[in-house]
Amino acid sequence: MRFDVRYRTVFSYDEQVSESQNELRACPTTSETQRLLDYRVTIQPAARVFSSVDAWGTRVDAFGIRRPHDSMTVIAEASVETSGSVMPAAAPRLEALRQKGFVDEYVEYLQRDRHTDFGAEIARAAAEQVDLVAPDVIGAILAIHRFVGQTLRYTPGSTEVGIAVDDVFAGGVGVCQDYAHLAVAMCRSVGIPARYVSGYLFTERDDVGSPAETDAVVVQTHAWFEAAVPGAGWLGLDPTNGQIASEHHVKIGHGRSYDDVQPLRGVYLGPGNSDVEPVVEIRRVPPIDLWRSGANVSVSAVDAVPADLPLGVRRYSDPHPSGSSIRQQQLQQQQTGAVRTGSLRSGHDLPERPAPGKRNQHTRT
Amino acid sequence: MHTVGGMSGKWFEGYTTDGFFDEAVDGGGGLRPHYESIASTLDALDPADLTRAERRRNAAFRTQGITFTVYAEDDESTDIERTFPMDLVPRVIPADEWAFLERGLIQRVTALNRFLDDLYVGGMQIVKDGVVPRWLLITSDGFTPEAFGVPVPLGARCLVAGIDIIRDDQGAYRVLEDNLRCPSGISYVVENRSALMRVLPQLFATEQVQPVDQYGSMLLHALQRVGPPAAGDSPTVVVLTPGIYNSAYFEHVFLASQMGVELVEGRDLVVEDHVVYMRTTQGLRRVDVIYRRIDDDYLDPVVFRPDSALGVPGLMAAARAGNVTIANAVGNGVADDKAVYAFVPEMIRYYLGEEPIIDNVETFLLWDPDQRATVLDRLDQLVVKPVAEAGGYGLVIGPHATDAELAAARQQILDDPRNYIAQEVISLSRHPCLVEDHLEGRHVDLRPFVLSGEDVEVVPGGLTRVALRKGSLVVNSSRGGGSKDTWVLAHAAGDASADGEDPGEATEFLTAPVRTAGLHPVGRR
Amino acid sequence: MLARTAEYLFWTGRYLERAEDTARLLDVTYHRLLEATPGHEEVEAWLDVLRAVGLADEFEVSGRTLDGWSVSEYLVLDPANRGSIRQCVTQARSNARGVRELLAVELWEALNSLHLDLQSRDLALDVQLQPHELYGLIRQGVQSVIGVVDGTWVRDDAWRFFMLGLLLERAEMGVRSLRIRQSRHDEDVHEWFATLRAASALGAYRRRYATFEPEALIELLLLSSTLPRSVLFSLRGAETILTDLVADERSLSLRLLGRLRAELEFADPIELVGPGLESTLEVVEARIREVAAAVAAESFLYRVDLGLHSLHLVPGGDPR
Repeated sequence: MRFDVRYRTVFSYDEQVSESQNELRACPTTSETQRLLDYRVTIQPAARVFSSVDAWGTRVDAFGIRRPHDSMTVIAEASVETSGSVMPAAAPRLEALRQKGFVDEYVEYLQRDRHTDFGAEIARAAAEQVDLVAPDVIGAILAIHRFVGQTLRYTPGSTEVGIAVDDVFAGGVGVCQDYAHLAVAMCRSVGIPARYVSGYLFTERDDVGSPAETDAVVVQTHAWFEAAVPGAGWLGLDPTNGQIASEHHVKIGHGRSYDDVQPLRGVYLGPGNSDVEPVVEIRRVPPIDLWRSGANVSVSAVDAVPADLPLGVRRYSDPHPSGSSIRQQQLQQQQTGAVRTGSLRSGHDLPERPAPGKRNQHTRT
Repeated sequence: MHTVGGMSGKWFEGYTTDGFFDEAVDGGGGLRPHYESIASTLDALDPADLTRAERRRNAAFRTQGITFTVYAEDDESTDIERTFPMDLVPRVIPADEWAFLERGLIQRVTALNRFLDDLYVGGMQIVKDGVVPRWLLITSDGFTPEAFGVPVPLGARCLVAGIDIIRDDQGAYRVLEDNLRCPSGISYVVENRSALMRVLPQLFATEQVQPVDQYGSMLLHALQRVGPPAAGDSPTVVVLTPGIYNSAYFEHVFLASQMGVELVEGRDLVVEDHVVYMRTTQGLRRVDVIYRRIDDDYLDPVVFRPDSALGVPGLMAAARAGNVTIANAVGNGVADDKAVYAFVPEMIRYYLGEEPIIDNVETFLLWDPDQRATVLDRLDQLVVKPVAEAGGYGLVIGPHATDAELAAARQQILDDPRNYIAQEVISLSRHPCLVEDHLEGRHVDLRPFVLSGEDVEVVPGGLTRVALRKGSLVVNSSRGGGSKDTWVLAHAAGDASADGEDPGEATEFLTAPVRTAGLHPVGRR
Repeated sequence: MLARTAEYLFWTGRYLERAEDTARLLDVTYHRLLEATPGHEEVEAWLDVLRAVGLADEFEVSGRTLDGWSVSEYLVLDPANRGSIRQCVTQARSNARGVRELLAVELWEALNSLHLDLQSRDLALDVQLQPHELYGLIRQGVQSVIGVVDGTWVRDDAWRFFMLGLLLERAEMGVRSLRIRQSRHDEDVHEWFATLRAASALGAYRRRYATFEPEALIELLLLSSTLPRSVLFSLRGAETILTDLVADERSLSLRLLGRLRAELEFADPIELVGPGLESTLEVVEARIREVAAAVAAESFLYRVDLGLHSLHLVPGGDPR
């Protein structure tokens, strides 16, 4: 299916912002099931965009604005053709997950990070689902996928970014991001490599009813997940909508979790708060081309992976909790060696030291 | 137990090596030839002279502010600034031994640079060729996906490397760990030398010692060579410091002033259109090379920790665009990982086609079931280290540990074997140190500093760290460590002296003991 | 030069000068009161000192009683008072530490020695038992730092920013102590002598003027072009430095400073003295502060007072 996607986000600030530096990940990827035909980024106020491809294969558009502004508009326009993923014909057994070469190739998708740091409850639930269909890997993935869709209730605004996946599971509500993280965490807990996917979903369930072809629908950026099937590659599933990633799913990219493929991340300097208004318009257009791609996944064979490598055992821990003062951050720097001192403590909120001059001005007035 | 015979006057009377390899005294109790000139100079001095010299040195360091800071938990007014203790008896390395070390260090850092470049911009050929397992690199805390595709001119990723070297009980030099992120201590190398020349000039009268004060120009030269192509022949270099509260702040000041470049904080820098500038009183001025002493995590809040107040927003994109070079490169921590360290000899063979000149300390990799079983059996005889810590943190020395500590270490290994390694206890060589009015042997190590620019170079000598507490093996400043001036002689051992020495003695450092069969790191077949 | 570096140097100069000026004020006040009868006058005198250094309100908040001992302790060693001499020296050193790579080794050592000396001393005991020696020592300590500055520092922009801070502080402090004295409408010769002594100007006064006249005093302390601690002398020095620093001749700081200097240059002491003097001095003081603010706005602008906020988008969330 061919789509034109128009992603538009407006950040408005209460007061003037003097500087803003950002990274945009909004460009549809090219893969076996999708091809990018055209892509354009526009920033207001105007900014020079530097584009590159990150470690996960996602296009990144970096830009900075270095003059006072009270709003920033980011527009990404893409034309893309999709074909939807196909259920693999293979039927690997769970033992295949333990093969050295398989673990070695997918090891980054078996670790925990701050969004997928699952506890015992999630692991138990995942193990139960897998037992139902053992020893079939695809069955296990689908069981987890269904379980997540049934367990969570879609509730916009119910969770904040950064919520622990255990809390999502316990709370039973969330948005697509939470569905994806929970599914990823459950897969990893039973040794199935899984990754988080960011993208756009063309949905006909719009407020105004089913639109005619070539009509635009207004949607949000969407998130789903992919699980690795031994011998068959990645299988994309959308637990929020209870379906396999279809030709309606336009994929931007994937990563270990949300952090690796945030649609927009950045910082701005200035006082006050910001308001954000992201809008995605997606429009189905007639196809112009036949689909074909020769992309393949190279496999590195390493026989050194130990048979009983207990991967995924390490819980995620933030070495330096956020919110530390400049002074603490200065102390925390890892100066390896001779003069490093023992008391690199963190977690206490020390008062921030103003520049010497500023402090003085206060005593003078 | 050996006692040094009366051949060398009062300072070495009653000095014992206690069966350890001693840098100054050989196994037969005789003074090694390259220490004779120091011994005879010392003979002309009384303990009181040395005590006075020590006081002068401490006072000088204090007024110059050559200190590290012991920080109070919550109140900056109670911070204590301490001087790093320096023992007055210099450590001496003869020219031939140094030539050996230098070759070995250049070889090692060359291979590490190749490895990191391969990992981040070269498509991980070493993994595809099955030399280092992919999963090991990916699961390292230092593995940094954000560094993928960020170019470093000349591949000089470890622009400054501090390689910790020890000598075992046979006198063989071995690499204990690689510090490839922000190794510190070079300022002490230079300041120790100038302090010793000031307080005990007579020591230098009869020896030809290679100078160390060219470090600043060596570093500047290396940094200028890695400037982005657009910067031309004389790129603008800055030193990026976290600020005055950092324990190594003195060193940052030292480096900036030795190179004659600006010492900047993150808030002095700004990125415009993917080019880095510093804010000056005359407006913005372009910056081409940043020698940073800030951890990766804090460099750029857009890419790393969003709350970093020390970094520069947009810096990584500027580096990726090739408009600025960050040194040391982002992501080097993966090669500091002590489990990855075990593969450095393989990297040397793989990238350079050479045998390693300086050996590693034999390392047990605990995810391997056989090696793990061996280690758990012999836990009370081994040293266990977390893979990601530097500076001796989290170290458990089996023979010195309590039962409770050993049990805790056992549990940690079982819980997360990837996160620990084990090594044989190496009882580090000893060196005479001034203790009150006489000399006693104390354990020492050596951190030479290796610079990568156009070529890989080593500053003659390095920082010799001393475990000042009797019997201690821990040389870190936070835990009772001190330092020594380190001399590389302009001549080989024995050349300066006519004294007969066992001919085998001078070259004994060349032979490392045979490895125990069956305990090789994985990847060896 | 880095904008932040320039600011650090500027404040190093200011803090050093403030430490010295505070010591001078305390010293002369202490000695004058030795000759006077204790009582109401003493309280007034100490209050004047606090007002001259701009800390009268903070002192009141601190809850201390208003007497010589308490004020001296507050101004010499109170760690809670950022304007105390010890804190000024510490701040001067902290600022200097932030720019150490630009300072000559001797300069840093002199400043660090002064700091270490004040840290290691029992200042409370000194204030009680030998205040004169203590104030003398502080003055000498600061002056030896300034001596090293004068004798070793290349006359580059770094030096200029340091001196600019020092001279503006000196000028402002000079105006303020004149104003405080003036507000008393005090004809007590001892008071004026103390003011002269605090500015190291008593000898110069005696040589030049036979008797005590208010006009003479204003002429000397405010308008003299030869007395190093007169307000005009300090402002002239600051103007010369600022001219070298600022590329743009129309810069606000330079215009403000030039105008102020010219007005003082051509002022007639006889016209100045009178009921309007106090408000004139107030205006001068405010103008000096404006100059400092203009310098800061032109040269020290770097990222310091801005918050850092992160932006992110949550997929599937409601647009808010």
